[in-house]
Amino acid sequence: MNLFPLSLIGFGIFLFFVVIFSYFFLDPEISYLAFIDPPHIQNRLFLTSIYIFCICGCIFFSLFFMRRLYKKQSQKGLFQKILLFLLILLFSYPAMLSYDIYNYIATSKVTFLYLENPYIVMPIEFSTDPLITFMHAANKTALYGPVWILLTAVPFFLGFNNFVATLLLFKTIIILFYFATVVLLLKMTKDSTKVALFALHPLVIIETFIGSHNDIVMMFLALLSFFMLKEKRVLLAIFFLLASFLIKYATFALIPIFVYAVYRIVVKKPIDWGKVYKYGFISMFFIFLLSFFREEIYPWYAIWFLVFLPFLNLRKYILTSIYILTISLLFRYVPYLVTGSHFGITPYAKWIITFVPVLFYLVFQKSKNVWLRQS
Amino acid sequence: MKNNLIFFLLLFFTIVPPVFSASDYVLPYPSSMPGSKGYMFDQVQEKLSPLWHFGDFGSFKNNLYYADKYIVEAKVLFEYNQYLLATVALRKSDSYFSRLENNLNNASQNGKDITQKREILMSASQKHVDILTDIASNTPEDFLWVPEDNLPTKLHIHTMIEESLHIRRQ
Repeated sequence: MNLFPLSLIGFGIFLFFVVIFSYFFLDPEISYLAFIDPPHIQNRLFLTSIYIFCICGCIFFSLFFMRRLYKKQSQKGLFQKILLFLLILLFSYPAMLSYDIYNYIATSKVTFLYLENPYIVMPIEFSTDPLITFMHAANKTALYGPVWILLTAVPFFLGFNNFVATLLLFKTIIILFYFATVVLLLKMTKDSTKVALFALHPLVIIETFIGSHNDIVMMFLALLSFFMLKEKRVLLAIFFLLASFLIKYATFALIPIFVYAVYRIVVKKPIDWGKVYKYGFISMFFIFLLSFFREEIYPWYAIWFLVFLPFLNLRKYILTSIYILTISLLFRYVPYLVTGSHFGITPYAKWIITFVPVLFYLVFQKSKNVWLRQS
Repeated sequence: MKNNLIFFLLLFFTIVPPVFSASDYVLPYPSSMPGSKGYMFDQVQEKLSPLWHFGDFGSFKNNLYYADKYIVEAKVLFEYNQYLLATVALRKSDSYFSRLENNLNNASQNGKDITQKREILMSASQKHVDILTDIASNTPEDFLWVPEDNLPTKLHIHTMIEESLHIRRQ
């Protein structure tokens, strides 16, 4: 029996509920969205349960679809249809888990409406702007690179200073970059099953479609740079890597691998692209871990290394470890959702939630191997 | 015991100079001085700085920064009796300070709330007045600057300080 149409309908209904539930997290301070008037739920445990339901649903559908893609059971075009269904999430409330999208809009407003340099003038300096009543980093100058700020000119001007339109357009631009990344990955790997490892990963879906983080833009440009390098268009490759770096700076970690690849092209020697992507993955994973020293490991930083996953031929236990770690990252929100505080037990709980499951799995694998060898 | 306490209190108030007017506004540390190697680099940076500090508030920050920088520079140079260089620094500080009001007017015309910036300007103005009053009390009214290889220049130091005070009090 072909479960495909049924599963897609189920997926659509689930996404629709995620959109509805996301508005339960709407801050009542946001006067612009007061017309939505969702029920103001004070019960943190209820909100946490909703969040866990959304995550678990995403994990279930992600694994279900990946399995079908892997077994090639489904009809043609399954992958494209799943991706199209994800568009429902365009209408979700973006600040369910993080307020970054408001920072993007505020920085854009400082630059293109107030015509001030966002690297020296903070949003809080425009004390009459309603945006600063609910955004969380009003007392910070621009945190992102100039390329990102320039890119945000498009949704900002198209929004015609209407907050809801601007918000939707900011989400749209992020989602467009997600699709561009998926298309590029398909072009580079020619394997939709492998691309699904990234494209259908719950963390990528939640942090891109709901959280609307610009990490996907940075990684798209980095991938495009490697694609150009593969096509031996070195200048374009340098341009895109620089553009990627000037989105959020994290891709500076790719420079050594990039230089190695350029060197091989210049001296006309073959490049082991498998190794290039492997070290790309390792470098971005390393930077991801280092982010702990800067501030904290935010779940959406995982997009930095997950984008290289479709290129790698990993052993099953390594792939499972990465999957467990990245899924655990999504549960990092839970302690805050339960306690309502970033202090006290929350940082410890976050650390335990992030690393203990994967460590537990690795120890289990190791002991299983030892046990198998002994028997 | 009581006598000791009175003695220490008297000693404390004798050593610590009285402050008649004080502002919370903090001026920067003195930067490189004229003649030093870093001064030329600072001058280039100063020329380029308006390009980075665009916008009404950006220009305000830039002009305030240089008004502060040069008043500190003038103070140090007056203390070292480098009167000619000190007056040049004072003129530069005046020039930057006189642009601040214009920046705020432009910002206000562009619909920006300038309440906070106005408070900063008032504090800065008060601090500058304190510095200038201090300089005036420690410098001669006029001074004939005689360079080794050029014609002498008569510096009307107190007149200049009066003008600077007038700019700050406007």
